[in-house]
Amino acid sequence: MSPAQPKSTARSVTLDALWYSNPIFRQILGICSTLAVTNLVLNTLVMCVALTIVTGLSSWTVSLLRNAMPRNIRMMVETLIMAFYVIIVDIALRAYWPEMSRNLGPFVGLIITNCILMGRSEAFAISNPPGISLLDGLASGAGYSAVLLLISIVRELLGMGTLLGMPIPFFAGPHWDKWVIMVMPPGAFFMLAVAIWILRSLGSATEEKPS
Amino acid sequence: MKDKAWYPVLFMFLVTAIPTALLIGLSQYTRARIQANTQISFEKAVLCAVAPDSAPTLRGMALHQRFLAVINTNISAAAGAYRLMDGATVKAYAIPFAGKGFWATIKGVIAIAPDKTTVLGFQIYEQSETPGLGAEIAQPWFGKQFQGKTLAAGVAPIIFRRKGEPLGPHDVEAVTGGTQTSVRLERLLNDAVATWRAALINARTAP
Repeated sequence: MSPAQPKSTARSVTLDALWYSNPIFRQILGICSTLAVTNLVLNTLVMCVALTIVTGLSSWTVSLLRNAMPRNIRMMVETLIMAFYVIIVDIALRAYWPEMSRNLGPFVGLIITNCILMGRSEAFAISNPPGISLLDGLASGAGYSAVLLLISIVRELLGMGTLLGMPIPFFAGPHWDKWVIMVMPPGAFFMLAVAIWILRSLGSATEEKPS
Repeated sequence: MKDKAWYPVLFMFLVTAIPTALLIGLSQYTRARIQANTQISFEKAVLCAVAPDSAPTLRGMALHQRFLAVINTNISAAAGAYRLMDGATVKAYAIPFAGKGFWATIKGVIAIAPDKTTVLGFQIYEQSETPGLGAEIAQPWFGKQFQGKTLAAGVAPIIFRRKGEPLGPHDVEAVTGGTQTSVRLERLLNDAVATWRAALINARTAP
């Protein structure tokens, strides 16, 4: 018999996803979309909502099916479940928000390749009840979203002088020389590195020292 | 039951069949709406291309009605081009083009003045090229380059030049880092313009 695992509580799951095991600055997962969509806050916001919904519902569904799922085909089933929710989001955007669908381009479809989804399914949902798995998925999405939004706010503000498309005093004026690099792909690399550096420095006291 | 050899096959079949059926239903339910959105994005591209300095801020049905009011959609009478009309006078021709980009289909519109030589505007309304690289073809800076350019005679009316090369009256700057996209776009754009010109000549010489 395997040793008893400590039971996950709603509080511990949420704190883990948002801070102690944050997908972006602790686990360095889901970086492709972090780099791709963070040049505009609105695009980032929609991407984050889409990913959070898909992660939450995928984890919930995987957890519901976990006892009936044959172990040797579980990853195929998990991928299929994720694809199902991603396609729903994609169709909904194309039907009801076509401009955003065009702005996000292939990245909505690419949510399926986001490591956070498979990570949460394999690490949590496959061995926990549906309610707490849903919370874990949603909280992981929120942890991802918090860092992405932080990066996108800085990029859009410095690069375009706007936030959510609205001009911001000083940054949109003639005295601010817009940092074009911020809206280009290299700007995302720099901002992600700075975000990881700052956020991990803040939590460095709680990190385990290598033995 | 989970130990039976057929169980994974049945399980996989069920988890494939049920979501697929649901997705087919959703796709059918939203199909008309998605098609209407595609049509409206094309109509917006035409309106923006023929009058780039007064791009419409309208959306949905209002944009569709404006399109029908000012654009002559009888494309067979203009060698495949849509026409911006002012009464009986043609103010611009809008030539749609579409073809394979680097990743997926690129669709756009190029607008030509009544002299059939001067480019009025250029719009891309569908593409899935690499974000930050090939996808720059859909950015305003790229489309703006075409305004005022003239179509060269021959099979290459518009020539894409590398960044830094001198630009002539028929030349625009290609996308740096998006060579494959630029090459394909140049080809399909020039094919569409050449086809339109050939059709115009045929229409003129037809008995």
